[in-house]
Amino acid sequence: MRMDQENWKFVLDYLSAKENAHGNVQQIKQEEKKIQEWLSKDPKNQQDLEHALWLWQISAVPPEDDDWKESFNTIQTSLSKEVSPKTVKFRFWIAAAAVFTAVALSTFFYRLQQPVLQNTGIDWVTKSAGAGKVINIILPDSTEIWLNSGSSISFPKNLQQAALRTVKLKGEAFFKVKRDPRHPFVVHSLNLRTQVLGTSFNIRAWEGHRSEVTVLTGKVAVSRDSAGGQSAAIHLLPNQKAAYDVHSTNLSLENIGNAQTAADWTEGKMTFDQTDLRDVFEVIERKYDMKIITDQSFKGCKLTAQFDNVNLNEVLKTIQLSLDLHYTINKKTIYIKGGKCN
Amino acid sequence: MGENNTTVFDGDLVHNFDGKAFEDLYRRMYPTLKKYAVYLVRDVEDAQLILNDVFIAIWKNNIRISNEKAYLFRAVKNASSNYHKISKTNFLHIDEQESLEVWDKAADPSQIYLDKDRNRILYNLIDQMPERRRLVFYMYRIDGFSYKEIAALLDISVRTVEDHLVKGFQFLQDIVLKNETEFR
Repeated sequence: MRMDQENWKFVLDYLSAKENAHGNVQQIKQEEKKIQEWLSKDPKNQQDLEHALWLWQISAVPPEDDDWKESFNTIQTSLSKEVSPKTVKFRFWIAAAAVFTAVALSTFFYRLQQPVLQNTGIDWVTKSAGAGKVINIILPDSTEIWLNSGSSISFPKNLQQAALRTVKLKGEAFFKVKRDPRHPFVVHSLNLRTQVLGTSFNIRAWEGHRSEVTVLTGKVAVSRDSAGGQSAAIHLLPNQKAAYDVHSTNLSLENIGNAQTAADWTEGKMTFDQTDLRDVFEVIERKYDMKIITDQSFKGCKLTAQFDNVNLNEVLKTIQLSLDLHYTINKKTIYIKGGKCN
Repeated sequence: MGENNTTVFDGDLVHNFDGKAFEDLYRRMYPTLKKYAVYLVRDVEDAQLILNDVFIAIWKNNIRISNEKAYLFRAVKNASSNYHKISKTNFLHIDEQESLEVWDKAADPSQIYLDKDRNRILYNLIDQMPERRRLVFYMYRIDGFSYKEIAALLDISVRTVEDHLVKGFQFLQDIVLKNETEFR
């Protein structure tokens, strides 16, 4: 029943030649002549041609489909000529591709760094996320940044004209860098310089803590970045992280099981894996915009727990159970009493 | 990568865009161009980025293209090859010939024909074709590329393009013939 390949080839040649003839009478006549000859060869051909013509016609235009709209909306922000980025409400979608970078910045080094970055009087724009808030920023080059609570990011107004897309971070942020091999994206945080061509990564730069750069996908180069100049870069691949210890000034590479957890905070999660309890408290303070006061140092205390977008009370109850402590909340302060490490 | 493309294809560029014309171009080009980008980079999200980068570059450089299709497809192709250079990932194109005959059996006519719109039904069927065949079909039928142009864009031979197209039409014909009463 179905038309064989040779005949289909012939009919398709005829149909497309006719369609593309654009009123060229001569050519259309020529095509018609060929098809008439073909039709006279076999009476079955007439029906086949009709069938083919029918399929040809109804396949000419794809059905109306709104898929393009959603996609188009994502580039709308990049199309506007304005320089300032759109700050949009934190959303829960996040790409599988992500790189997590953690960098600690000390005020001292930050000051030293200023002259280097502000060499030609570039205008810098700074965006901050207050305590208890995570914000999503889209830079003029359509790079997306999730800024964690209590963090800030600065970028030059002329980001797109610069040979190097340079930004400065304080605190922690997750980046999805728009791919542009000709304009590498560089993040300066006090003691580390992180360079990528186009990928996603998260930078953490909490003062007084070791810096970490964790890669989910793509490739990232991390080097020490201080007044003394840059060190040789170490290159990270997915599921690797760079850690920089301020005291030993040692930049090391570690393999990790699942880099994705490093970016969990962008989805409202908190993941602790043998994390120093004092660091856990800091994370809670920032995320919930609270102050935690304890009656002991909890030195050497570790916590392993995962909180998936839960409220503060649930977090505290879990910690209460695992460490046998007591807590009371007064306005913006959490008072913690007792507790013992396992 | 956008800047790079504009230099390469200077001959295609004339006049300026307005927002409406740009949106319209995006709407018209999206269905096939998106599939093409996915075909090249094997990743839906990266394909989306590449596609959008190409459009953003056009907008930023404020250019109007005389041969839109040729320009956009070549730009996406260039961008994708840069992408491969960066990601260093060699994606394997699995030969889809083998899986073809399964498709018409897998299609459930009772489900498909619930949709009264024949054009929609037909495209439901087209969308069930193996990826490369579907892409050839879209490029040929919707965007009006020639066999030769498709062959160049997909890095396959003209004969393979023709073969995909013929088999694609045969596949549609088979289903339509089997379900003639519902279709006509």
